[in-house]
Amino acid sequence: MSAVTADGTVAVEKSGIEGSYLTDGYTLRSWLLTTDHKRIALLYLAAITMFFFIGGFAAALVRLNLIVPQGLLGSAETYNRLFTMHGVVMVWFFLVPAVPVTLGNFLIPLMLGARDLAFPRLNLLSWYLFMLGGAVTLWALFAGGVDTGWTFYTPLSTMYSKSHVVLAATGIFISGFSSIATGLNFIVSIHRLRAPGMTWYRMPVFLWSLYSLGVLMVLATPVLAITLLLLALERVFHIGVFDPAIGGDPLLFQHLFWFYSHPAVYIMILPGFGVVSEIIPAFSRKRIFGYKFIVWASVSIAVISFFVWGHHMFVAGTSLYSAVLFSILSYLVAVPSAIKVFNWLGTMHKGFIRFDAPMLYALGFIGLFTIGGLTGLWVAALAADVHLTQTYFVVAHFHYIMVGGMVSAFFGGLHFWWPKITGRLYPEMWARVAALVMFIGFNLTFFPQFILGYLGMPRRYFSYAPEFQVLNVLSSAGASILASAYLLPLGYLVWSLLYGERATGNPWGATGLEWQTASPPPTANFVETPVVTQGPYHYPTPESMQLHG
Amino acid sequence: MRRDLNRLLIVWLLLLILGAAEVAASYLPLPRAWRPLVMLPGAMMVGVVALGFMEVRRGSVLVRAFAVAGIFWLLVLLVLGSVDPLTRTNYPVPDAQLR
Amino acid sequence: MASTVRQDFQYASPTHQAETAIAGMWLFLATEVLFFGGLILCWIYSRHFNAPGFDAGARQTALWIGTLNTAILVTSSLVYAIGLAFVRAGDTRRLIQCCLLTLALGIAFLGLKFGLEWRLDFAHHLFPADPYFWIAGSLSGGARLFFVFYFISTALHGLHMVIGVGLLLWIIRRARRGEFSPLYHTPVQVVGLYWSFVDVVWIILYPLIYLVGRGQ
Repeated sequence: MSAVTADGTVAVEKSGIEGSYLTDGYTLRSWLLTTDHKRIALLYLAAITMFFFIGGFAAALVRLNLIVPQGLLGSAETYNRLFTMHGVVMVWFFLVPAVPVTLGNFLIPLMLGARDLAFPRLNLLSWYLFMLGGAVTLWALFAGGVDTGWTFYTPLSTMYSKSHVVLAATGIFISGFSSIATGLNFIVSIHRLRAPGMTWYRMPVFLWSLYSLGVLMVLATPVLAITLLLLALERVFHIGVFDPAIGGDPLLFQHLFWFYSHPAVYIMILPGFGVVSEIIPAFSRKRIFGYKFIVWASVSIAVISFFVWGHHMFVAGTSLYSAVLFSILSYLVAVPSAIKVFNWLGTMHKGFIRFDAPMLYALGFIGLFTIGGLTGLWVAALAADVHLTQTYFVVAHFHYIMVGGMVSAFFGGLHFWWPKITGRLYPEMWARVAALVMFIGFNLTFFPQFILGYLGMPRRYFSYAPEFQVLNVLSSAGASILASAYLLPLGYLVWSLLYGERATGNPWGATGLEWQTASPPPTANFVETPVVTQGPYHYPTPESMQLHG
Repeated sequence: MRRDLNRLLIVWLLLLILGAAEVAASYLPLPRAWRPLVMLPGAMMVGVVALGFMEVRRGSVLVRAFAVAGIFWLLVLLVLGSVDPLTRTNYPVPDAQLR
Repeated sequence: MASTVRQDFQYASPTHQAETAIAGMWLFLATEVLFFGGLILCWIYSRHFNAPGFDAGARQTALWIGTLNTAILVTSSLVYAIGLAFVRAGDTRRLIQCCLLTLALGIAFLGLKFGLEWRLDFAHHLFPADPYFWIAGSLSGGARLFFVFYFISTALHGLHMVIGVGLLLWIIRRARRGEFSPLYHTPVQVVGLYWSFVDVVWIILYPLIYLVGRGQ
């Protein structure tokens, strides 16, 4: 059933689902008390899918409200709670966990050639903490919600809001521990559990991205924890650290909040970079261009992202000197991201490109992320930001990165590794249709928002000036198309679980240790510990391919 | 064993001496803005604990990297976070009112 | 049983696992540094914007209790480190004695801080929400903010110490069951790191609370 090949990797033939991690225990207990990273990844996948649709539902109501200038839902209060729900759920319960806890948990040991993560029981604990945090937050949201926005700015959140701020903050606080545990597990695993022969420079880029992500999770999330704690104490006990009446500073909250939340946005996008960096070489059948540049770009992003948080506060009242400093540093952080884009394009150049669904998602990512990233440069400029801040321009900017970028990457990665995770192939035609519909729907939803923001429409307002209606209607129409594009994969992926064609160990012919074991893998991942003797992406070069016709 | 005990006792004595120095320093007539410098012996105490009790140098490279990373990022938070209050024009609030 | 050394299946050797556990604890401690770091930023802001009142508040702290507690904690780290040296030399009995002494010192710290010092603080109307807060007027905002920092930081530190006490009890229990030996004592090292770290947090909080504001 398996044979050791010339380069020491273990090749496995088509083996089916029997004898895999999926069949290793059928009881509920074997799932709920598992320490197998692959099962934990699936537990997480179910959870974040649920959160994605909850957050998406809130977004649908937001876009529904905005189809008429006076606001269709009729209530500013309700609207505030809806966009807050959308932000809180999407940020903390979808985007921050998405790729790391599903694809990351599943693939890191496989890509390392290891049998599990460094701390498997901590991994299970992190899932339970995530579920507990999610339950508490959902309770807050469904008990009446929060109206402060996901940013919880003081003094609204501490003195004036009559919503369930403390409850929501508690849920997020609990989920933060899940993040820290996951990041810690990833960092330690990547340092300590690499297979024999796997030096740092032989690791796939995805591992470097998740390592960088781990650094962010581990160092930024604790600051969120103390911030939420201070927020709760201020709200309940009026301790006054954010209250100017007794000498506190409302901006202190924003500094502490954004110290976490800016790295958080890189927590959200770095795994996306990693996924795209795996898909592009596989579907260009070419090794990645500028490997060292791209991996050190990930690390630099992780480091520099801690230096730029003040760009969320340009008009908040910080000193001009501080604003200038943060503006300059923000331009610095754009450089490694841009480098990556050139790396991906360089990889595709002269490659043998296949337009399977994962590649469509990855290509969409490159285009949409680039637009989002470039518009970030505009808002990083102080003078421009004075006009663009708190308008739909910013909303479009971050949705291009988060939804156009990250969600595309998530779907791309899900499709790319679906055969590995489930042992089934998804229906390719439907997947390509979904990818295209998503691209169209996304652009129709969010491109008008750039224009709206430029024209001055403020964000987080439930009603707007009548001259903005056409663009808003276009945006909401796009949202309905986008929603259908998200429902399609839910349909055909579930279908494939039952009726999809069985996958071989390596249906894409990709490199990477995860493809050297069965689909789906056995519980112990590898029959024998792999030995790595060459770098990642060891595809044949275009020159050698031409020799063989 | 004897050597270990001696080493640990020296570390402990060093900590007590630094602590005493810190208390003494707090009686120096420093202007208000310079008062935090009183913490310098305390910072040294942290180093002594890390080296003497926590054996940070005896650990693997990773251990030292994590220790340094923690301190480095703490400094980023505190220093970059202090730029704003230090350079902001502050308009003092009139006498605090009880809420 | 004391000499049985085994590693979990994802590790190559017991040494590999031990080193990984220690590295993991150091990484966790780095997260704690950032957690308390946010609180220190709060101290910086509160003091910067309210220095006269803040320092006036700081002068009301009981220096002798704080200093005694610092000495107690530093000594507890010493005693635990001695215990670790003993288990490395094979003497589990002395390890248990050292852990018990560390435990006693830790409980003494908690007793002094929460049993005595906090009670005195409440009696002197130093609690910020006290309607008869000890000072009124232009300094009261800053003084209040000082005591907000004081109570929050000592509460959080105390919480970490209580967790540390629990960990000590766990080590004592495992040591009494003969689970540690010169070849395997990773949990002792890992708990020692945590305990020393809680000590380090106090070493930083001590001047922030008792010393910096004490000048004129």
